[in-house]
Amino acid sequence: MTVLESLKNIGVMIELEVRRLRHDRMELWTRAVQPILWIAIYGTIMGNVRGIPTGGLDYKDYITPGVLIQSTTFVSIFYGLTIVWERESGILKRLLVSPVSRSATVIGRSMAAGVRAIFQGLIIIPIALIIGVRFIPNPLYLLGAFVVIFFAAGGFAAISIFIASFFKTRERFMGIGQAITFPLFFTSSALYPLSMMPHVLKEIALVNPVSYVVDAVRGLMISGDLSELPIDILAIAVFLVVMFSVASVSFKRIIE
Amino acid sequence: MRPALDVSGLTKTYGGGTKALAGVDLQVEEGSIFALLGPNGAGKTTLMRILTTQLRPNAGEARVFGLDTVREGAAIRRLAGYVPQEMSVWTDISGYENLLIYAKIYGVPKPQRDPTIKDALTKMGLDDVRTRLVSTYSGGMIRRLEIACTLLIKPKILFLDEPTIGLDPSARKVVWEELTAFKREHGATVFFNTHYMDEADNYADRIAIIDRGKMVGEGTPEELKRSIGGEVIKLTVVGEAAPQAVVDRLRGMDLVTDLVVAGAELSLVVKDASMALPVVIEAMRERDVAVRRVTMEAPTLDDVFLKYAGTRLEEGGRSVDTRQTRRMIKVG
Repeated sequence: MTVLESLKNIGVMIELEVRRLRHDRMELWTRAVQPILWIAIYGTIMGNVRGIPTGGLDYKDYITPGVLIQSTTFVSIFYGLTIVWERESGILKRLLVSPVSRSATVIGRSMAAGVRAIFQGLIIIPIALIIGVRFIPNPLYLLGAFVVIFFAAGGFAAISIFIASFFKTRERFMGIGQAITFPLFFTSSALYPLSMMPHVLKEIALVNPVSYVVDAVRGLMISGDLSELPIDILAIAVFLVVMFSVASVSFKRIIE
Repeated sequence: MRPALDVSGLTKTYGGGTKALAGVDLQVEEGSIFALLGPNGAGKTTLMRILTTQLRPNAGEARVFGLDTVREGAAIRRLAGYVPQEMSVWTDISGYENLLIYAKIYGVPKPQRDPTIKDALTKMGLDDVRTRLVSTYSGGMIRRLEIACTLLIKPKILFLDEPTIGLDPSARKVVWEELTAFKREHGATVFFNTHYMDEADNYADRIAIIDRGKMVGEGTPEELKRSIGGEVIKLTVVGEAAPQAVVDRLRGMDLVTDLVVAGAELSLVVKDASMALPVVIEAMRERDVAVRRVTMEAPTLDDVFLKYAGTRLEEGGRSVDTRQTRRMIKVG
């Protein structure tokens, strides 16, 4: 299996996802409802309190990247449900007997979740604009933000595939998925800056990949402050490599 | 000729201590259709999953075209097509799209993709429904699509786990005609698991019978039937079961080559049924056992199975499996 072949197979897995989305767009729209409510209602009301140090940003603007990432992370973490279903049916067995390498399958399926995340962003951002969120009017910055969202969503989907290889039934998977999504959200800088957190939480936030993703996307979309961007990208890259490796190794046990 | 499959001393015990395979030996000639026949839980699927590199055996070795399933799995995966027992296509895209994804996964070159897909769809009778979502397909159409996905990639060897589950008799015939034609055109080897006697009898060049993780018989359908020797008398006695004394008495007769009891039904293998029948009936009457029904027939694979495995294949299996397949589709 050459690198080129693996890349091609990753592309096929992404194509599969786009084709599925094309047949069922409803899910994308319904998934966009919750983040819109966070921005429009929670963002507006908490913004009026003015109790959160956002570095001069409107609170609604401040939380938009966080809420967007929360929404895409949620989609990624529950991507494992697809894998659980494919395990229950014979699809995974068949894929594992195909020439596609395990890691190409895992990375391809993970990045498929990245595709979902991009579509999620494409729906949420225009609505946020209408609500009055001010984005940096530079298409290159926006493009950069989407690249970050795409890869980050892939990393979280890899966590999800890893979980799916241990919790092989729908019910158990749902439980675990719920149990990690919200802690990831609340122990990150999605809704409030790290400086506001108690010491212990701050330590957790430092190893929480969501913090770095939110920071990068906030810099690119809202604040324009890219001073931390290299560190964020490095952190996300490490996160991806670790998750892809771990998920690839655990993947084979999924059908045993 | 080099065998397509060469299995020796294969053992597999699952984590829970279940012994699925207890030392299996098997050879399959290249270019043949080979059926592995056995009841549910006999180890058929486990053997197939080892051959398709999904599971590692605990002992023994299995080779596909000389390639070791444990060490040379990647090379085997390039040669093999596989249809698992469970549903294995994506239901939220169309039939055509499923074939397209598989064609790309197996690296079918772009110019050949469309003609190959069209050919596979036509052969499996799915051309009219190719743009429909698979979730709207019937169980039989899904099974045909799965087989189409496999034929598309022109494998050197096909592994089919209960290939015609959920298919009505006419669809089964279509599938087997295509598989046979594919084997003829491409010289492919077909290895399939089944618990349908007629399927093994009609389409397999050779059959191996597996029971409780062990191979109990092997040969062409005719050889297996001949190995029984003679004819079969089937007697159904009045009451729950025949008394042991009668069974022992019959077993002790020179006329009776073999006897298997299944509840109230006795199957006797005899050299000449018309000579043996009066003697057998007389022996039963002496012990006051009334006979409800008698049939005489040439041995079928069912009798072969009965002789080698000591039980009959469950006839009810088919509907249960169909339900399972359907459940999978609904979940999607």
